[in-house]
Amino acid sequence: MKRAILFFTAMMVFAVAANAQSIAIGGTMENFSLPDGTGKMQTLDSLKGKNGAVIMFVSSQCPVVKLYNERMNEIAADYAAKGITFIGINSNVTEIEKAEAKPVGWVKDHIAATYKFTVLFDKGNVFADKLGATTTPEAFFVNGSNVLMYHGAIDNDKSGANITTPYLRTAFDSALAGKRIERTSANAFGCTIKRVE
Amino acid sequence: MQSLLRHLIRAVLVAALVVIALQVSNAQPSGKGKKPVWDGPKVTQIDIDGLRKLLKPNGKPVLINFWATWCDPCREEFPDLVTLDAAYKGKIDFYTVSLDDLADIKTYVPKFLGEQKAEMPAYLLKTPDDNAAIALVSSEWTGNLPLTILLKPDGTTAYLRKGIVKYATITAEIDKLVTPDAKP
Repeated sequence: MKRAILFFTAMMVFAVAANAQSIAIGGTMENFSLPDGTGKMQTLDSLKGKNGAVIMFVSSQCPVVKLYNERMNEIAADYAAKGITFIGINSNVTEIEKAEAKPVGWVKDHIAATYKFTVLFDKGNVFADKLGATTTPEAFFVNGSNVLMYHGAIDNDKSGANITTPYLRTAFDSALAGKRIERTSANAFGCTIKRVE
Repeated sequence: MQSLLRHLIRAVLVAALVVIALQVSNAQPSGKGKKPVWDGPKVTQIDIDGLRKLLKPNGKPVLINFWATWCDPCREEFPDLVTLDAAYKGKIDFYTVSLDDLADIKTYVPKFLGEQKAEMPAYLLKTPDDNAAIALVSSEWTGNLPLTILLKPDGTTAYLRKGIVKYATITAEIDKLVTPDAKP
């Protein structure tokens, strides 16, 4: 009986530890491979710019993401020339075909019409689990060596009307200037990534 | 006689048109760009200091649900929260905190609460710094909605749920705080 309890406890600890996987600031993000909207596999190393990439968790349904879409495209355009690329990730089980790691039809159309950067699909939210991503929108900025430099919100105001702290742009500018990033993480209210049960 | 009848019919038609016009004007926003105002529970605006007060229990366990009308899972779980409020009324202090835009405090937020027949005190948090508010609630929270937190009477966290609450789970957690332990 004791042995059974010990085994059960060990399994619970293992399960909790496995679920708590995430990447800390200063940690290195492993290269990953996920399909785009056509099913073609894309990797971090092939998509990132010489100065890094932003892994941006998005959703075609989340109203907060919708408020940020235009700003995301603007920031992506501003920093593409400076060697930082945007990589969108959709991990929402409700927006991905169950049988394939492809977007459902209207999501595919929405993404094509909305984003000026590549969006990849994370079937089973495996990648979101690995990074510890929970919210949309949520950004993970890695430098050219895949080291995590910033994690969290894009700015302090989802409406865009009163942005006083553009967290992501500030992190980019500091990293590009070779300066220390003052604020390496910030949270904001957003939508929960819809995970598989 | 026929003339009198014609006048009567005309008067009835005019009266009917007036009634219809009045009903339409009441159902729609009166000015361009204005949002319709619905009757519903009072929603009180709070800032981060107001949130801090909510997080301080006053002798009873405190349950707080953070939600927004734009959040699908928040709307989905709300009927369970209303049931829970009725079941534990007087035993716990249960508040809802909306993260909707301030512009919705007299429109979509009370409309939804009214439709749900929600009676728990309702607040809308308006803060220039989401990050500070999120950190105040829990270091485990990144800001995704919904979030439900159960606080013990001493203010420490008894249970925290990111995502839709499971009724059986949350009530079991509350029961640990409000039901005396009957075991020997």
